[in-house]
Amino acid sequence: MKENMPINNNIITSPSKTEPPRKKTKRDRFLTGILIFGGLFFIFSLIQLNLDYSRLISGTSKLFSFVGHMMPPDFSTWEKVIGAGLESLQIAIVGTSIGVVLALFLSFLAAENLSPHRTISWMIKGIAAFVRAIPALIWVLIFIVAVGMGPFPGILALAFNSLGMLVKVFAQSIEEIDDGVLEAMRSTGASWMQVIFQGVIPTVLTAYMSWSIFRLEIDFRYATILGMVGAGGIGWELTSAMRMYRLEEASFIILVIFLMVFTVEVTGNQLKKMIQRI
Amino acid sequence: MEILEIQNLTKIYKDGTTALRDISFNVKKGEFAIIIGSSGAGKSTILRSINRLVQPTSGSILFQNKEITTSSKGELRKIRREMGMIFQGFHLIKRVSVLKNVLHGRLGYMNSFKGAIGAFSKEDEEAAWSLLERVGLTDQAYKRAGELSGGQQQRVAIARALAQKPALILADEPIASLDPTTSETIMNYLYQICHEDGITCIVNLHQVEVAKRYATRILGVQQGTIIFDGSATELSDSEIQHIYQKKLVV
Amino acid sequence: MKPSINHIQKRKKIQTILIIGLFALFLSWSLIDTGFNVPKLLNGIGETFRFIFIDMFPPNLSSLKGFMGPALDTVYMSFVAMVISAISAFFLSFIAAYNLTPHPTLQYAVRGLASFLQSIPALVWVLVLVAAYGLGLIAGTIALTLSGTGLLTRSFAEILEEIDMGPVEAVQSTGASWIQVIGQAVVPQVLPGMVGWSLYKFDLNIREAAVIGMVGGGGIGFAMQRSLSLFQYKDAFMAILLIFTLIIGIEYLTNKVRMRLL
Ligand SMILES: Nc1ncnc2c1ncn2[C@@H]1O[C@H](COP(=O)(O)OP(=O)(O)O)[C@@H](O)[C@H]1O
Ligand SMILES: [Mg+2]
Repeated sequence: MKENMPINNNIITSPSKTEPPRKKTKRDRFLTGILIFGGLFFIFSLIQLNLDYSRLISGTSKLFSFVGHMMPPDFSTWEKVIGAGLESLQIAIVGTSIGVVLALFLSFLAAENLSPHRTISWMIKGIAAFVRAIPALIWVLIFIVAVGMGPFPGILALAFNSLGMLVKVFAQSIEEIDDGVLEAMRSTGASWMQVIFQGVIPTVLTAYMSWSIFRLEIDFRYATILGMVGAGGIGWELTSAMRMYRLEEASFIILVIFLMVFTVEVTGNQLKKMIQRI
Repeated sequence: MEILEIQNLTKIYKDGTTALRDISFNVKKGEFAIIIGSSGAGKSTILRSINRLVQPTSGSILFQNKEITTSSKGELRKIRREMGMIFQGFHLIKRVSVLKNVLHGRLGYMNSFKGAIGAFSKEDEEAAWSLLERVGLTDQAYKRAGELSGGQQQRVAIARALAQKPALILADEPIASLDPTTSETIMNYLYQICHEDGITCIVNLHQVEVAKRYATRILGVQQGTIIFDGSATELSDSEIQHIYQKKLVV
Repeated sequence: MKPSINHIQKRKKIQTILIIGLFALFLSWSLIDTGFNVPKLLNGIGETFRFIFIDMFPPNLSSLKGFMGPALDTVYMSFVAMVISAISAFFLSFIAAYNLTPHPTLQYAVRGLASFLQSIPALVWVLVLVAAYGLGLIAGTIALTLSGTGLLTRSFAEILEEIDMGPVEAVQSTGASWIQVIGQAVVPQVLPGMVGWSLYKFDLNIREAAVIGMVGGGGIGFAMQRSLSLFQYKDAFMAILLIFTLIIGIEYLTNKVRMRLL
């Protein structure tokens, strides 16, 4: 060992002798509390659900034979199925487009830094929140009763549901605009319309496009299943194939739905990247 | 007595980088050896090979007469628990309390399952408390480690290493992300504790002056080879220049 | 040769026009094919308003009592499915995360399975499951569990891939075993994030569960669907209001908890 220790002892603080209170870290306790509560509520829920476990077992063996009957997928009706798939795509495109156009106008009234009046802003946001909170499939049921079966109620349901979401996120994009930018435009004497067309739209365009594509993706997912309750598209084909016990056709339809959803997700990501570059 | 015997150690990383070329050196019990060298020289790779966080390409490392490079998983656990390791970035679990972080030093001695769920024994907990006292952090014991300052976090890391009751401490640039005053505190802790407990210590540093103040022995590394091995007084300015001079790749 | 700024701008402009043009083409094709037009839209909205405000309004408050049971079932079903999928996803995610996976082949297999489970809508799962388990809560719970396992495995794996490996290595260097490293170094880092995602999935499940009932998955959706098909529109409105309250309530609750967690 080296003899001349280069240690500056006074730097080392002498440890405090007082024993600190030995208790758990605060947020630790919160997390633990959540986990314990979750476990208890899980057990409670299971008891309340009162599931028939014998059916769980017999059903599982049934499921395997059922899936067996679904194999191999029957491609012979591909023309009809692909046509229905395209109809789903069309429902999504039209529904989303209506939602986007309406949300575009409403967002100018809903954004607090642009709205002519606070009350208008709050009212629009409130209605949007309500429309958004009700699942698209419930809208479908309402529209089916109101306007009858087919692609039309599906389009309306998607338009409404997208409207609810897009008004919120569009308004948010506007509210994120730097106050100074709008101030400066107003100070030059620009009218409300001019501020929107010259200042707001160019600023939020990219965000609007990304959100719209994001929404189209969601709507497309919906459009594949809307039909299951009677709103046209590929979902309807699935329901009828299952009802008529054409199981091999059903598995082909499920395969198509899977591929459609998957493709849209991938192309959606690709498009979003492209738009960010523009 | 030799605690560590390294022979013909070579490490070539997957991407083809040769980090260590045929290195050999021994470390005696109680030494406070400091490895200096510019960044990329291979200092970290040496320490990490000793703990087998990287698998050496060839060569042998004997730690207390046990071969590290070929030891089985179970043996490796036993070897590792006797080597405390301290890192530049502290590497504490930030969300977890300071006390728990110190207790992690005991994992190598525990039943695997008990350790996994964090069921530490009463004795271990007491030991952790006295270690925190030693590094002056008892009043921070229940804070999250991430809430502490850099210097305090490094003291926790030292306590974690000490909880292992190590024979050897490996410190990889322990003061590189700290300010000068805090750096001095940390080096003092490290030196004093190793001195008092008779723990052998190998420290990677790139500050030559600091190395000269503390080291009982200095190793100079350049491009994966040891080109200096001697005491602080033997390390002349020309030697220093030699160590830090970038040699062109042949 | 480096393209000039002018050139890049020009290319961007062409790209933009191309995208918009392509989209317009798609849109007109869709409009024509679905026979959609503005008068029809206005007419449809008018019909809907008439239906909502005359046939459905006001909601039948006395039907509320009968809906409470199915509504609670929906909550239980969503929660049970969330917990089971979170637990399965917890284990699967260690295989699916590239930094912790025991083997890359296993990693791809689990990732693929998760994507598959997630990409098939829960409603489709229900349809198949109802055929095996019959109408009711079992089919709904399993469907939510399957799609939840897909989503949570992917998000848990992402959380695992973002952890700080430094501390993991540090704990490993003390001589800790694999399971100890997972328990003491990995789990504390990821648990809040995983619980947060699970709560979010619970929130999503409530929405899904409300509609799963419509194809036979039990719960409030089933009750609402029945009221509609029995032409009890004022009851159906009550059920919709209940669904709305449930969704908003659970969303508020889970958001509150998630805020405190992170
Ligand atoms: N995981 C790795 N993969 C590939 N090359 C590495 C890896 N780690 C370190 N290296 C390379 O090995 C050499 C030595 O690195 P290192 O031991 O970290 O040096 P030091 O700690 O002295 O800065 C460097 O050239 C470095 O780029
Ligand atoms: Mg290094």
